[in-house]
Amino acid sequence: MINPSEFLTFLRAKGFSFATGVPCSYFSRMIDKFEMHQESITYIPATREDEAVGIASGVTFGGARAFVIMQNSGYATIGDALTSLAQLYRLPMLLIISWRGLEPDRDFPEHSLMGKVTEATLSSYQVPYWELEIEDWQRTIEVALTKMEETSRPVALLVKQGVL
Amino acid sequence: MYGYEIIQELATLLSGEEIIVSSNGNISRQVYNYCKQPQIYLRGSMGLPISVGLGVALARPEKQILTILGDGNLLMGLGSLSTISYVRPSNLKILIIDNGVYATTGHQATTSGTLNYTALLDGFGLPNIVPIQRNDAVESIKEKIQLWLDAPELNILPALVDAKPPTLSNIPLHPEEIAMLQKHSKT
Ligand SMILES: Cc1ncc(C[n+]2csc(CCOP(=O)(O)OP(=O)(O)O)c2C)c(N)n1
Repeated sequence: MINPSEFLTFLRAKGFSFATGVPCSYFSRMIDKFEMHQESITYIPATREDEAVGIASGVTFGGARAFVIMQNSGYATIGDALTSLAQLYRLPMLLIISWRGLEPDRDFPEHSLMGKVTEATLSSYQVPYWELEIEDWQRTIEVALTKMEETSRPVALLVKQGVL
Repeated sequence: MYGYEIIQELATLLSGEEIIVSSNGNISRQVYNYCKQPQIYLRGSMGLPISVGLGVALARPEKQILTILGDGNLLMGLGSLSTISYVRPSNLKILIIDNGVYATTGHQATTSGTLNYTALLDGFGLPNIVPIQRNDAVESIKEKIQLWLDAPELNILPALVDAKPPTLSNIPLHPEEIAMLQKHSKT
């Protein structure tokens, strides 16, 4: 697994001083670490994922950087926040999305369909995405952030179980 | 009083240093026409003006952030009241223009008529001012707006108003320009 503290330190060094979102059990170790990093990264718990995209958009309007954590079930609720706000106003942000509904989630039918269409919905909303893997995770994030800055739009990392 | 008149009154009381986040449709157009430019005029993202205001307030702690939104927008993002109550940025102020309808899409009724704003906002733990009523005198309306602007902490002002939006042309700025102008104002 990626060390969550190293992960947050890395994102902080890349300029992210705010984070927001709705938890997924895949991110529980990372969320636990927010307390330790609270001086450098302010975490704002949102009530819905579209709200989190709204908060991150406000942070970006204000000239800072935010990343947003959510399940892919939450990604399914942010279409308008992306298309009529973050993408329309060209507000760069990093979406960190857990990829539920794959093999380890065979006993969680609530995630099955979303798991199947996650990549297709990212593509159809024109959100560039990368799968975050334990190997070379820093490199993957750097590539994603380069795209984020180049396009000045949201980009996403997909995170399977056991990675973070 | 009509909603647009509240925004006109507000405009006379501003220092010009505030950042306004306005909700989609008529309210953004009114803010564009009656208040100093540029501001953050939302064109879509219905339900998210409070969240956007929260983000700006956190990123720009030296500025007063005024979020102005309609009742339709409020109801669509009601959860954000809980979030701002929890985070409590002292530089965030919310003005709710409740005309009881989705005026922008043709005056269809919203469900806001049953709300008791004082009880609602108290319940969320949010400091608030006694709502502006439809038949309040102009002086009393100005006083409430001033009280809201001067509040030393997070504060919400609900305004119950009549709906008669003036016909205003579309905001000529592309959203990308709206974002760029904010970037440039931060110098
Ligand atoms: C997600 C979404 N649903 C519906 C609309 C259509 N729409 C645009 S403005 C608006 C009404 C907004 O109502 P309110 O916030 O009360 O402001 P008012 O129009 O009364 O000034 C609606 C429903 C939209 N833009 N986005």
